[in-house]
Amino acid sequence: MNELVIPQIILDDMIAHARELAPHECCGLLAGNNGVVSRMYRITNIVAMEGAQNLSSFDPAKVAHLERLSPAERAEIAFVMDMQDFSTAKKDMRNHGLDLQVVYHSHPHDPARPSITDIKIATDYEEIWPKINLPIPSYLLISLMHTTPDIKNYWIKSGQVSNASFIVR
Amino acid sequence: MIKVRIPTPLRPLTKNQGEVDVTAGSIADLVNTLEASYPGIKARLCDDSGELRRFVNIYVNEEDIRFLKGKDTALKSGDEVSIVPAIAGG
Repeated sequence: MNELVIPQIILDDMIAHARELAPHECCGLLAGNNGVVSRMYRITNIVAMEGAQNLSSFDPAKVAHLERLSPAERAEIAFVMDMQDFSTAKKDMRNHGLDLQVVYHSHPHDPARPSITDIKIATDYEEIWPKINLPIPSYLLISLMHTTPDIKNYWIKSGQVSNASFIVR
Repeated sequence: MIKVRIPTPLRPLTKNQGEVDVTAGSIADLVNTLEASYPGIKARLCDDSGELRRFVNIYVNEEDIRFLKGKDTALKSGDEVSIVPAIAGG
């Protein structure tokens, strides 16, 4: 597979999004054509807005952990996309003939690699993408744990994580 | 019959079935029918006023019900309904 091309302006916008929401996690989508990203969608992280027991994406252990935290603390260690925002983005992609390429989120305190929860949910989602008519995206992580943001992109398939390199220009 | 795809996190409620068949005339009807067979599932999909929660999408034949008629979206035999949990992580 060819390397994904992310324009500098979009990379900068993702970093800005992560910094604006820190210490909470941000999340969003990148879309484009032929391996070149041309649009970024910021998606609301609603993990702090709902009781953790309702957040059906997480496994019971994670829910139990999230339940012990305040809403603000939850948003520091987790994200849940507002699926209303997601649907609006999906519709915009369709209207503009764009393909979903990347799901991104930030790790305000941790390295730019998928957590166990990230891997589990991405693996659960593998069977969902084709059913909602979208290609399986790569997963991009923005770490803010050091002064200079660290950004890495991955494929997550069947519980296995591999590097999905990208170039910025 | 309408085929309903159940996502992994909700399968503990559906006796681990990934697909169930129901008869329903609308999404609201479908949710109530699911609730009768699989108690607890409605609360995972809808808030107290019956509106779809923001961390769930329901697609009818690949179209989001938010862009159809929401919970009043009509269903006919042969339709495929997918319940899609939020994209999430930690």
